[in-house]
Amino acid sequence: MLLVPCPYCGPRNASDLRHVGESHVRPDPNTATPEEWRTYLYLRDNAADWTTETWYGTRCCRKYFKVERNTATNEFRNPPMPGNKLGGKA
Amino acid sequence: MPEHAAPAMVSPITTSYPSVAGSPLTLADESTLTKTLVRSDQAQFGLTFGHSRMEGDAIVAATRPDEWTILGAAEAVAAAEAAIDRGGFTSVIPWTHGRACFRLSGADASRMLEKVCGIDWSDHMTPDGAVVSASVALTTCDIIRNDIIRNDIAAGGAAGTPSYLLVMDRSFAQYLFDALIDAGQEFGIAVG
Amino acid sequence: MAQSNRLPQQPHEVIDRGSPLNFTWNGKNLTGFTGDTIASALVANGVEVVSRSMKYHRPRGYITADFWDPNGFVQVGPEPNVRSGHRELSSGIAVDPQNVWPSLDYDVKAANGLVGRFLSAGFYYKTFMKPASLWPAFEKVLSTFAPGGTVDLEAPKDEFDKRYAHPDVLVAGGGPAGMAAAIAAAESGASVMLVEHEHRLGGHLCWGSDADVALAGELAAAAEAAGVEVLVNSTVTGRYEDNWIAVTQRSHPLATERLIKARAKVLVVAAGLIERPYVFAGNDKPGVMLSGAVRRLVNLYAAKPGERAVVFSANADGDATVADLERAGIEVASVVDARSGANLIEAHGGSKRVSSIEFADGSKVDADLLVVAAGWTAPTSLLNMAGDRPVYDESSARFFPQHAIDNVLTTGGLAGDGTRDELVEHGRATGRLAAERAAAVRHRLQAFTVQAAPVDGDEPAWADDARTPLGRDPHPALFQSTSTGTKSKAFVDFSEDISNKDLVAAAKEGYDSVELLKRYTTATMGPAQGKLETVNTVAVLADARGETIEEVGTTVWRPPYAPISLGGLAGRIFNPHRVSAIHEWHTSNGMVPIQAGAWERPDHYGDPAAEVRNTRENVGIIDVSPLGKLDLRGPDVPKLLNLLYTNKWSKLPIEGVRYGIMCADDGVVMDDGVTGHLGENHYLMTTTSSGAARVWEWIENWLQTERPDWQVHVTPVTTAYTSINVAGPKSRELMAQLTDIDLDPEAFPYMTLRQGTIAGIDDCIMWRIGFTGELSYELHVPAGHGLHVWETLMETGADLGIKPFGLEAQRIMRLEKGHFIVGQDTDGLTLAPTTGLEPLIKLDKDDFVGKAELAWAMNDRLDELPRLVAIQTTDPTIVPMEATQIVRAGTTEILGRITSSRMSPTLNRSVCLGQVASAMAAPGTELELVLIPDGRRVTATVMEHHAHFDPEGERLRA
Repeated sequence: MLLVPCPYCGPRNASDLRHVGESHVRPDPNTATPEEWRTYLYLRDNAADWTTETWYGTRCCRKYFKVERNTATNEFRNPPMPGNKLGGKA
Repeated sequence: MPEHAAPAMVSPITTSYPSVAGSPLTLADESTLTKTLVRSDQAQFGLTFGHSRMEGDAIVAATRPDEWTILGAAEAVAAAEAAIDRGGFTSVIPWTHGRACFRLSGADASRMLEKVCGIDWSDHMTPDGAVVSASVALTTCDIIRNDIIRNDIAAGGAAGTPSYLLVMDRSFAQYLFDALIDAGQEFGIAVG
Repeated sequence: MAQSNRLPQQPHEVIDRGSPLNFTWNGKNLTGFTGDTIASALVANGVEVVSRSMKYHRPRGYITADFWDPNGFVQVGPEPNVRSGHRELSSGIAVDPQNVWPSLDYDVKAANGLVGRFLSAGFYYKTFMKPASLWPAFEKVLSTFAPGGTVDLEAPKDEFDKRYAHPDVLVAGGGPAGMAAAIAAAESGASVMLVEHEHRLGGHLCWGSDADVALAGELAAAAEAAGVEVLVNSTVTGRYEDNWIAVTQRSHPLATERLIKARAKVLVVAAGLIERPYVFAGNDKPGVMLSGAVRRLVNLYAAKPGERAVVFSANADGDATVADLERAGIEVASVVDARSGANLIEAHGGSKRVSSIEFADGSKVDADLLVVAAGWTAPTSLLNMAGDRPVYDESSARFFPQHAIDNVLTTGGLAGDGTRDELVEHGRATGRLAAERAAAVRHRLQAFTVQAAPVDGDEPAWADDARTPLGRDPHPALFQSTSTGTKSKAFVDFSEDISNKDLVAAAKEGYDSVELLKRYTTATMGPAQGKLETVNTVAVLADARGETIEEVGTTVWRPPYAPISLGGLAGRIFNPHRVSAIHEWHTSNGMVPIQAGAWERPDHYGDPAAEVRNTRENVGIIDVSPLGKLDLRGPDVPKLLNLLYTNKWSKLPIEGVRYGIMCADDGVVMDDGVTGHLGENHYLMTTTSSGAARVWEWIENWLQTERPDWQVHVTPVTTAYTSINVAGPKSRELMAQLTDIDLDPEAFPYMTLRQGTIAGIDDCIMWRIGFTGELSYELHVPAGHGLHVWETLMETGADLGIKPFGLEAQRIMRLEKGHFIVGQDTDGLTLAPTTGLEPLIKLDKDDFVGKAELAWAMNDRLDELPRLVAIQTTDPTIVPMEATQIVRAGTTEILGRITSSRMSPTLNRSVCLGQVASAMAAPGTELELVLIPDGRRVTATVMEHHAHFDPEGERLRA
């Protein structure tokens, strides 16, 4: 099982966390076009490469945080940052 | 309106197990301890996430990065609450009824936890005072290592008896108590 | 038969002759000794044939006489598929052969051998492919041919268990190198778990020379002294991400099998080598054994495998077998040395046993035992799982790992060859390296784990691998893809009954990639999972393709290394369930429970319709503790509520209560509930019972990621309170006896809350809302006093006719009132305005979750969306099942479905909610329903109001 480097707890079993998915930015609902909004809702890059993704500490710190993970090798890079100000793709 | 007497609070643990004198591993129901939750953007009790200590006769534990739990007898908790820094954005939430609490003690306590929890319970990873939140038998618990140091041992500086407080949602308590008693059979677990 | 083939005492035997054990084989009473395996006891009793092969039902005897023996599967009492080469004998067990009919000695299906050409590779695929309709019939016949024992469903269940472990170093394999690695690692300060597949440490030393056995003993003692946790009769079955290691422990005193999930900082793979069978005609006849089998039987168990042996030897182990046989007094008729080019042609024999061996030079020797020492297979499984791709070395005739990843090290036979001392020295160096690297990993883990003890100094440097590599002994490459013998088959896969001819034929048919060949023929897919078969399979294919083994490559070994029982995977079964503080009362008062998520709660207490009537006439109470509750504190709670709910919250006064629906950003209804304003900067939100955890995470997500500047503390208090709904026209009268709170409708109106003392309990919250449509009070009392309040209500309300009601009565009453349930009446596509709650969607708010989609939907295409409406059948006695389809009259065009339906005890007719196409949603529209299960069509009508009962809400506002 993957060890996920939680920035609050330290390395934890992936089963203690929830993989939220690729990090993405929520557009302004008052100005977004339907196309932009639905891209935010439904479209993900799903790259076999480095991705920036969000995890949630369901069974540990109950914090959202962002990590960079290579989906092909499961390597992590860069110290993960706390979840606030998520946004911006890798 | 007629007067209604208020009885003492009731623990969620309603089954009884025989207690065995001198059992090497004990599980005690301490659900009726008073508990207070502190949520704050200020540092509290000088404790960072993952650590605990005694504040008077109460245990204070940093159970989340911005959350502290106080446990103990009512007076001890009240006394500890006096030490809360109420500056910044701080909430103090009564927590007695929301959480159940067990104490698992004995030389085999860490081996017992290994059966139900994926955390590394070795002394260097979870020393006395460590606080960790994790799944215990599929139930999310805050676990506070709070070794029982007898006076004579404390004087000699030797380690005490490993002891862990398991704090969990009240509604899961009976299930978890039964599950721990069952899983602890190989260590001769008894209700303490 | 008194152990006719038991040899005199052997110098290093492990049996206890003072401790005989009785057992039965095939119904006959036999005796063995403590320390015997079932196999060694059978051999000692002169048993020659132990099973029949899978397809051809050929008689089979032991070939490896260990865990991997393809022929050694037996039934032991109620337990099928026991590996008799591994399982230790115990007193009184009944051992029986499997896959025989009607008997082991006379097997009717052996006739399959005569029609063998029909059972060639791919036979099932080709023969039974068409017509598909006949497959059930084929299956019935074929299943009688399937191998395997009999499962006894009545047998008592075994105990299984699980545990986690976090060793610094985990060593897979307790031979000389593995033991040495474990000892050196432990002596370097690492915590070490040493896992040995066999029943004792030592590996091949156990059946070796005096010096071998002595060394095994010394190393085992040193491992214990060094504090190594030793698990024998246990197997490392898998290596996963970040050295997550699965270990199956079969030696636990209280559990048949225990699955250990270990997170090892460094894994040392010292799995040794597995002896490879040789492919030649008649190689499956009873009496053909590998050298390791013979040495184990003779040296460990003093069991005589034959009277007169021929030894075919390509290596030192073959030579050592000759010495062992001679010492044990078994005649060695001939030794054939493969290193000088001699070869076997065929093992001849009758139905029971080999009788003579034919050699390449044309000579023939009579013998009842043929010992084969033809080479070794490197079981690189764990290294494969770590990403290694082993490479074939022609000169040693086996695969070697290339390089494992940094925290997986290899030692022992997998790494190379050497003397006893060289293996131990390599093991020690590996153990030291493992400990050094583990220390670095440990330092890092400790430094980054918040609760860990502080760690001093810098992280130790990653130790270089400065080990002196083991050498590689030359070994003849003994592979044969074409049998040169007469009629007898030459088996590559004994478990699956696949011969070299089958493989060559499959390759000719085009299945000539090793992965395809494997799947098509099922070679290597039997119980040994390729341990015995893979390299021979690759060799046959290489020859068929005219390539080298290296060019063909090998299949990838995947977990598990050895089979894990389903019981072991399940382990101790944890089934968390939640109960309220009143659970015991419900249980002793006739509750019929229902499982709702993890909650166990009363569905009813015998008669839900009576519970409804009593609540509508008198007063009823229901335990609604599972209702999700979130304590919200902070100055920005109104902003949060405005963001999460579709309606407006800024002006909710203190003591006010409001209903809201939550959507996701796609506009689909996610949850609903009421939120009350308890005090300054303090609110209590309720959610659906099943949505409690999801809404909590949802709120944390918005607060942590999108609005981190907002000051809100959210705390789940679902079980901090026992929640009780007191409903019915007499509820005010009841509550007046239990609280000082002014209950006058003017003082405490609908949709407001009060806080105070109830039944002597302080800090209670009471709010006037109504899911049932009656005058009702929802009480939230501190959970430790919940039972007291409930019992006081029951006692005090006795004169008023109080009765508890369960979930079913509540569901009926809410349906009578037309309240929808999220997830029951809505689905994953239900946009909020289609539920009849358009007025609660405030598009003039600056932002709320779901706003964009809801604005587009409400402005542009509301007419295209299905609507939730109340429906009544024309015939009031018909209760259409939930999910009943609504169709265009006389057609099969689906226009909607019934989402909730019940017989209403209050109206004495059926009532429904349903989703229908917007064109059919106008009040009075006639609908046609297709009833389940008989397809009968009946009519129904769309109602004006969602509420079938008291649409004006006079009762609940009373």
